[in-house]
Amino acid sequence: MKWDQKIEELAARAREERVPCVDVTSAVLATFTAGSVQPLTVAERFWMWLAAVSSAVAVPVAVTAFILSTRSAGPLNEIVEAISWAIQ
Amino acid sequence: MIDASLPLPRPVWIEAAILAAVRAIVMPCQSERPDGPAVPIRDDVEDVRQAQQGDADAYRRLVERHQDHVARILWRFSRDRGTHEELVQDVFVEAYLSLSRYRGKAPLEHWLARIATRVGYRHWKEKARRRRTEPFDVQEWDAAMDGDHVAGTVEPNDAAEVLHHVFAQLAPRDRLVLTLRYLEQCDVVETARRTGWTRTMVKVQTLRARNRLRRLLEQHGVELT
Repeated sequence: MKWDQKIEELAARAREERVPCVDVTSAVLATFTAGSVQPLTVAERFWMWLAAVSSAVAVPVAVTAFILSTRSAGPLNEIVEAISWAIQ
Repeated sequence: MIDASLPLPRPVWIEAAILAAVRAIVMPCQSERPDGPAVPIRDDVEDVRQAQQGDADAYRRLVERHQDHVARILWRFSRDRGTHEELVQDVFVEAYLSLSRYRGKAPLEHWLARIATRVGYRHWKEKARRRRTEPFDVQEWDAAMDGDHVAGTVEPNDAAEVLHHVFAQLAPRDRLVLTLRYLEQCDVVETARRTGWTRTMVKVQTLRARNRLRRLLEQHGVELT
């Protein structure tokens, strides 16, 4: 007998199991009426999307700015050093 | 006493009402669940619409109608009664918060099954992060087997317990595909629908999970042939 047939057989027996009864109706409705769970309002959704879009734009901008500033730091340093040497 | 009004998840969804009306005319109003009482889709769509308007009684009816189905799915994810009940509760809270996304195109229980799978999987990942896995005792396996077959005296809950412990040794991803395949009898399409993965991914994941399961059983000295 193949090994996975044993698993299949066990699973078939397991599927006959009676699942314990639950009644969560009151608990679920109580969660909503207690106000601990609230769906997002339209305004909240708007701010959430705005924040997500802003973050999505901000990250590449920050990366590009960092790369550009690193590239231009070399020539800038040379100019600053030249000026400071001339002043001395 | 519970207030009969609920916070509104979203304005009324006209599409769901139109679909319900079309269905009422052209389609039989029974869901296609083979293993349980058929639930009229029309009732679900109507209750969803009312629940979206803040009708607590409508949502109560939905919970009462579907909690057994959700409980059955989540019993595969946790066999601790307290945790199980919490998970069922989480499913209905999550379902309520995303009620506006239910389009009424498929039976509500299919949609709830997806949420239940997601909630259960999240529970496993949380447990795995905390490294809280139930131990697997090979004697437990041996006691359930009689040679090549499952012993006739093994009760269904014992068989379920053994499988639960075996699968618990695997990573949540592997555990999920194996649970859906063996215990929920989901095919590739259904597994993909329940997990949100592509069919290719389901096939690959199933293959890997089965290999890991086999290795695991070998490591524990389980006789496989």
